[in-house]
Amino acid sequence: MDRVVRLKLVLWVMVGLAAAIATARFAFGLGATTHLSDATPWGLWVGFDVMGGVALAAGGFVVTATVYIFKMEEYHSIVRPAVLTAFLGYVAVVVGLLFDLGLPWNIWHLTIYWNPRSPLFEVGWCVMLYLTVLMLEFFPVPTEGISALASLRRFLLTLRIPLVILGVALSTLHQSSLGSLFLIMPYRLYPLWYSPLLPVLFFISAVALGLMMVILESHVTAYLYRRKPETGLLAPLGAATRWVLAVYVAARFGDLAARGQLHYLASGAWQAKLFWLELALMAILPLALMSATRFRRQAGWQGAAAAIGVAGVVLNRIDVGGLADIGRGGPLYAPKWTEIAVSLGIVAAATLAFLFMIEHFRVWESRPADPEADPRKLPEFDKVGFTWLGTPAVAGRVKYSLGFVFAAGAGFALLGSPLAARQGSVPAPVHRARGDAGYLRSGVSEAASLGQPGELPRGVLYIDGDLTRYGVTFYHQREIERNGREKSCVLCHHMNMPHDQDSGCYACHRDMYQKSDASRHDWHASPHGANLACVECHEPGYARTSAHVKPCADCHKNLVPAGATIEIPNYNAVSYVDAMHEVCNGCHVKVAAREKKPEIARCAECHKGRLNFSDTRHYLYSPHAPAGRLVILPPPKVSEVH
Amino acid sequence: MKPAILTDTTKCTGCSECAIACQRVNRLERDIPRRWDFGDGLSAENWCSVVDAADNTFVRKQCRHCLDPACVDACPVGAMHKTAAGPVLCDTSKCIGCRYCMMACPFGIPRYEWSNVVPYVRKCVLCYDRIKAGGQPACTEACPAKATIFGDRDELLAEAHRRIRRNPGKYLDRVWGESEVGGTSVLYISGIDLSFLTYGEHFGKEPLPQTTTLAMESVPFAFLGMGAAMGGLYWIIERRNRLQAEKAAGEAKGQREPEK
Amino acid sequence: MTAWIDFARGPLFRLSFALMALGLLRIVLLTLAGVREGYQNSSDKIVAWKEVRRQTLGWLFPMARLWRQRPIYSLISFLFHAGMIVTPLFLASHILLWRNALGIGWAALPRRLANWLTLLVIFAGAGLFLGRLLSPAARKISKAQDFLWPLLIAAPFVTGYIASNAILSPRTYQEFLLVHLYAGDLILLMIPFTKLAHCVLAPLSQLVTAVAWKFPAGAGDRVAETLGFGDRPTWLPKARLTAELPEGAAGKGGSER
Repeated sequence: MDRVVRLKLVLWVMVGLAAAIATARFAFGLGATTHLSDATPWGLWVGFDVMGGVALAAGGFVVTATVYIFKMEEYHSIVRPAVLTAFLGYVAVVVGLLFDLGLPWNIWHLTIYWNPRSPLFEVGWCVMLYLTVLMLEFFPVPTEGISALASLRRFLLTLRIPLVILGVALSTLHQSSLGSLFLIMPYRLYPLWYSPLLPVLFFISAVALGLMMVILESHVTAYLYRRKPETGLLAPLGAATRWVLAVYVAARFGDLAARGQLHYLASGAWQAKLFWLELALMAILPLALMSATRFRRQAGWQGAAAAIGVAGVVLNRIDVGGLADIGRGGPLYAPKWTEIAVSLGIVAAATLAFLFMIEHFRVWESRPADPEADPRKLPEFDKVGFTWLGTPAVAGRVKYSLGFVFAAGAGFALLGSPLAARQGSVPAPVHRARGDAGYLRSGVSEAASLGQPGELPRGVLYIDGDLTRYGVTFYHQREIERNGREKSCVLCHHMNMPHDQDSGCYACHRDMYQKSDASRHDWHASPHGANLACVECHEPGYARTSAHVKPCADCHKNLVPAGATIEIPNYNAVSYVDAMHEVCNGCHVKVAAREKKPEIARCAECHKGRLNFSDTRHYLYSPHAPAGRLVILPPPKVSEVH
Repeated sequence: MKPAILTDTTKCTGCSECAIACQRVNRLERDIPRRWDFGDGLSAENWCSVVDAADNTFVRKQCRHCLDPACVDACPVGAMHKTAAGPVLCDTSKCIGCRYCMMACPFGIPRYEWSNVVPYVRKCVLCYDRIKAGGQPACTEACPAKATIFGDRDELLAEAHRRIRRNPGKYLDRVWGESEVGGTSVLYISGIDLSFLTYGEHFGKEPLPQTTTLAMESVPFAFLGMGAAMGGLYWIIERRNRLQAEKAAGEAKGQREPEK
Repeated sequence: MTAWIDFARGPLFRLSFALMALGLLRIVLLTLAGVREGYQNSSDKIVAWKEVRRQTLGWLFPMARLWRQRPIYSLISFLFHAGMIVTPLFLASHILLWRNALGIGWAALPRRLANWLTLLVIFAGAGLFLGRLLSPAARKISKAQDFLWPLLIAAPFVTGYIASNAILSPRTYQEFLLVHLYAGDLILLMIPFTKLAHCVLAPLSQLVTAVAWKFPAGAGDRVAETLGFGDRPTWLPKARLTAELPEGAAGKGGSER
């Protein structure tokens, strides 16, 4: 296969994968398809697609200014590809934004609801306007053959200089405003990146990136279409990049020095390392490579320098856009694979559009020979499908669509259950209450094996199902004595597991916050267990759901103790937290009303004192902290508990 | 009157009545822990939470309703707005879901409905309807210990300083919310350091919107300046090229003439 | 075994379903693109659209046409195809699965009706299979895969029927379910890449022959007529096809190939 064909196949695969995820994104929302969180509301889609995308499209305004304002006519041949790259880049940015916005169908609100004080408002408007400018600038190329539009093209030609000037001014604004976006979060961004100069730094790096992007794009397409690289033409651009980068490095360090933050550079923090990596990639390495005339004039090195620089600036945008403030409270953010796949898919689609344009319109002085366009070429034999694929154009079509379909299928398969991901619920298995649980029956303390918080006297339980030491001290013996001794068991214990008496709550209420299946289906069905045929419980001829099933008590005669106060409505045991609240508060509310003591129905009646929230000196941001409540530091390690 | 809430953490018993009242009055649903939770108990369905802090202190967390809020400045469509009555509200009919407000908030308050296909930003509304009707927020009304009280901001500030003066050993000499980021409507006095409630530990007194003022105010100048500079350069270079071309043409003419 | 079952109705099902839907869409689009190019390249742009439509509908719902010639075959074939599409789509258990996994569902067939439909598909399939096996003409034009397909298609129906109706031990139930799921997934997976694609390609065949190949509409009938077995079943023994070919009537169709 030719390199272009191979690349296109890979790109179509990437687009296919992204298409599958796009469906899930719009059908199930952001929670199901990203790892974004309340602590990290902006992730890869903002950092890479939007911020990186705008930066990558900077070649457009740099090159149009070079050719039409500075009158360096020798670069005329790279204007069209640069404008096309910029145009497609901005389209990709808008598409990426549509993925990231929670309410993408409201994006037009920017035009009618104004908040001119918001940097994002300004970025939005500039991107809209600049996209229009780019469209007008590029309009003559694809419509070249249409004579009906000739007068419109001539009119646009007279507007060329004003359009170029407008484009440069708009780019100046939003390239820098992307930096202004982060001025408002001085406490969020790491000091190595936060600076009042962010807009200026963003603009300078955008100019450098624009130049490097033009160089890189020229080398890549030259490789793909087997053209001679325009190394000689591009070398002066490399030289210019060098100066811009030098200014950038000086501004970056000068800014750090002026703010007195230089000491962060030497700190061993991972952010410092990230800073050095970023600066080396985006400025120092390309600067060094482009300063040496030998490297600058050699195609391979020239391309490599540009590629490194481009990667570096994109990293810079990702850093500012979120990477550098990761871990400042809340759960850590690492992009989900779906986010990466969508980002790559958008880039792949833009690349495909670019290749299509240069193959079908006069983006270059001469159109490249599309390896598939030649109808005289003989049909290709596909060794996999064992068939003749028709002319090259047909063969390409067949291959690309197959790649797309398989990738999309794989995407759907890998997505997992979107409904579950959308809920974002965290399983929190329940453990039995700690303390002297078996004292009534055996008289033997189980406390030693379970590890109890503090010294629990006999007949006292400590209820914290998820072992975060965030529970309630329950005076079991006292409740028994208050409520009528032996007769009191059935007040709470409404179910006996087989071969058990007064089963613990954890036996059925098996998750702290989610409902669980109260019947052990696998055990009933397993040949190692009861080995029951399906129809022994499920009604024959109906879907095998809990709606058509025998009540447990039909077989388990002793399941519900005589006189139990709480009914078992169905097979779904409510969450442990709900069950505990219901069983305790049910009585407490009644007693509070009867004895006119409202305080005993309040949360603080049970949740009082240090022990009942946490008995450690450490606090945590526990992922399992109940809603409305907080434990601040990590839970004790499992080894500590056991 | 500037409505405000003063929370005295030394009086709080951690009973959570405020959080429960908030859920009831604002018709919020019971929530379960989610993957995307910050971990402070706040969520799209919990606008008020009680943080169990060090040394037997409970701290109620809610939106601070800054006097000059960063979220309002950040919102590109003006959905987040500060009402004349004081509360900071989000107009969901304008929202585009960019979540810039969540990024901008120095207290990390706004929460997102990540599980919804049509998600909105949600947070405490300071019981706007109740305040407007002359009442007080559900949380302050529900507090059995009078640890969190509602009133005019100036009066509450005076009250806070009075309590600190009267009991210097019990309180740290600071009213949280008095001046950080330009002052907030929700004030705290406490025996422990409360800076864990925020992103940065050392908040300045400048309102955060001022950080972008310079950049945003220079936008028209940058636009016109860049436009003028480009136009000027174009004019100069164009003229130079034309003169050079004329000169070259003249010289060529001059050279050719003698040949004739 | 539970893990295998969950895999088959989770990721594998999503993969095969997506591949089926997108794959069918792909071949339809590729075919239409080919038709378009054929039309563009042809010098004769006249297409009898009306005739194409008539023929397409005639082949889509071949009852009237076949009823005249082979009533039993056409009835069995129709029942087989209809049952095969309707039963899995409207089975309560399947809808429950989708509702749980994706949140989409629709009205289900009554259990009893679904059972009858399943049996119908199984027996109709068996009838068609026997017809192919017993008729010498049909056997002659069949390849090995033509005998394998009915068996593979029957597999999920048979196992599904047994698993949901017979009184089985849970282990046997799971084993039947396993075969049911993997056979079903395999079929879905193979639809767009095998002759099963005729579910979308058959309606396009008249269009392709008329527009791209430039066979005149109804050419097939005329060829058959010319050959002398116009109204007779094609699978009758060769000995009876004795009519002579009139001069030049073998049709334009033949010469263009």
